[in-house]
Amino acid sequence: MAEVAYVSASRVFAGNPPVRAVDQLELDVADGEFLVLVGPSGSGKSTALRMLAGLEDVDEGAIKIGGKDVTNVPPKGRDIAMVFQSYALYPHMTVAENMGFALKLRGTSKQEIKDKVAEAAKMLDLTKYLDRKPKALSGGQRQRVAMGRAIVREPSVFLMDEPLSNLDAKLRVETRANIAALQQRLGTTTIYVTHDQVEAMTMGDRVAVLKDGLLQQCASPRELYDRPANAFVAGFIGSPAMNLKTVPLTAEGALLDGLTVPLTRSALDKASTEGLKEVTFGVRPETLRLAGADEEGMELTVELVEELGADAYVYGSVRIGGVPERFIVRVDGRTPPAFGQNVKVAVRDTSEVHLFHPESGARLEV
Amino acid sequence: MRRSIERHWYAYAMVAPVVVVLAVLVLYPLAQGVWFTLTDINESTIANPVLDRPATYSFVGLRNYLNVLSGDPSFGSFWSTLLRTIIWTGSCVVLTYGVGLGLALLLNRPMRARALYRVLLILPWAVPVFISAFAWKFMFNSQFGVINQVLGAFGLGQPVWLGQTDLALVAVVIVNVWVGVPFMMLALLGGLQSIPADLYEAAEVDGATPWQRFRDITLPGLRSVSSTVVLLGIIWTFNMFPVIYLVTGPAANPNTRILVTYAFERFFSGASRDYAVASTYGVLILSVLLVFAAFYRRALRRQEAFA
Repeated sequence: MAEVAYVSASRVFAGNPPVRAVDQLELDVADGEFLVLVGPSGSGKSTALRMLAGLEDVDEGAIKIGGKDVTNVPPKGRDIAMVFQSYALYPHMTVAENMGFALKLRGTSKQEIKDKVAEAAKMLDLTKYLDRKPKALSGGQRQRVAMGRAIVREPSVFLMDEPLSNLDAKLRVETRANIAALQQRLGTTTIYVTHDQVEAMTMGDRVAVLKDGLLQQCASPRELYDRPANAFVAGFIGSPAMNLKTVPLTAEGALLDGLTVPLTRSALDKASTEGLKEVTFGVRPETLRLAGADEEGMELTVELVEELGADAYVYGSVRIGGVPERFIVRVDGRTPPAFGQNVKVAVRDTSEVHLFHPESGARLEV
Repeated sequence: MRRSIERHWYAYAMVAPVVVVLAVLVLYPLAQGVWFTLTDINESTIANPVLDRPATYSFVGLRNYLNVLSGDPSFGSFWSTLLRTIIWTGSCVVLTYGVGLGLALLLNRPMRARALYRVLLILPWAVPVFISAFAWKFMFNSQFGVINQVLGAFGLGQPVWLGQTDLALVAVVIVNVWVGVPFMMLALLGGLQSIPADLYEAAEVDGATPWQRFRDITLPGLRSVSSTVVLLGIIWTFNMFPVIYLVTGPAANPNTRILVTYAFERFFSGASRDYAVASTYGVLILSVLLVFAAFYRRALRRQEAFA
């Protein structure tokens, strides 16, 4: 059990110009917390994890585990266990040997290794497979062995690098829940890397969003969803993605096609003090609704309807300043509009719209 | 049977040329060689069209085998020659594998001018064996050779390398290792590169020291490559004629005599040109290697089942 801290830690890859894969990362993870690092590929999330593991150098700043500076400590001295994307199971060892390898290296007695491996195997439902080689296991079983190898060591921090990305969709959802439950039960600080925002939202106590090596926001899933710190986080978190459009501002609010979304006084004041004539307007699909013919609303031409059963997502175009812009609207799954139909769309709740600076992307508080 | 010929005649027609070639090039000589071991064929009994002399050799049963296996010095002291062959093969393969693995490990890490090192280390392979053998023969020359000059400069004495002592065997082992290392290195380098890097990272996180990573990741990861190249190395070295012949020949040196070089000696030198005994040696070499390969493969399979 330990807390983890990145103290303006950077990793710079040589090149011309040098690439700052992780740039001045400042992050504190509490003891027992499940923190998810999420971002698109190339965002530096895996590099950040590998820096914590000691597999990647820290070029600037420091990394602390349990309050101790481990920046220059090799991996074996950090008391961490890592689950790799490829699982990295030792192919010539059985499941039991794989799980007990770290203990064996530490010089633990044979009986104790056997007990601990048996205990972890029971927890992961692997008891039947202890004598098998990894190649005789299915993908899901291999994944569990990789987890078991980490658990057996009872480390102070678990590091997981996209551990579910090689599983099929159904198994992934199942394993996602199992890992989260296991972590709660063990109470071990866990840093989990993924590119999948659904995993991030469902598993993490807190989620740190990275882009181009820079930390965009670190907050609880709820907070990320309700109050994204910038347009990138707003567009990255949530599925389908938030509608983000740059629209002109009027004295009353944001001007969409045939629809003025009223904004609060404070938001308008803030925009005017910054001298903004336009603003990046964000609204989630579920905050939009179909409006009646006599209501105020924007004209949307339906281009695609995704029916998911309970809900349906309508993809369509709205002309903003003469240019067609795609919007996604969540509607009731039983009565979706048809392809090619023109419908009117209104905002369900104006307090749920998000405003961002049109250039910097930073959130304008509403 | 007839039905299958009718239906697949074109398939038989397609493979027929290969079967004929193999029969002419492999099976016929092999059968003839085995037949010779059961006769007293030599220079004076073989058919000689130039002298218009018909063949006069005759069937002698297993006499050649009995003579050879008795270990009689006049038939090449089979058992002590076999022992020397095994020592030669063992030391060559162990050293070649060890040096090859060491170089492969050195080459398998990122460094500047890696491609250049790789080419330089593969070069001995590209040089025809007789050139390397003669170069080494000159280097081992006791009076003018560079090796003794260096040894002399350090006051380490100037041994006669290629004389009729066991030092000659040491010398040919050195030459053969030099010739054989590039192949080993290349094969092992390929094996090393097929070991996923994240296994090493996982082992590092698990707390393995560099030596433990070598023992627990590298060696098991190389096992399939190693077992193949060691088997090939043993077969090739067991039958390695050119290095020994070129470095210590053409006058046969009994201290570097192995089974194949003796078969050659018996076949080509001396007035008698004893083809029968030479063939007997050939068949015995083949048998030894076949038995060995069978045991080797079984041992490997058992190891795989256990491991």
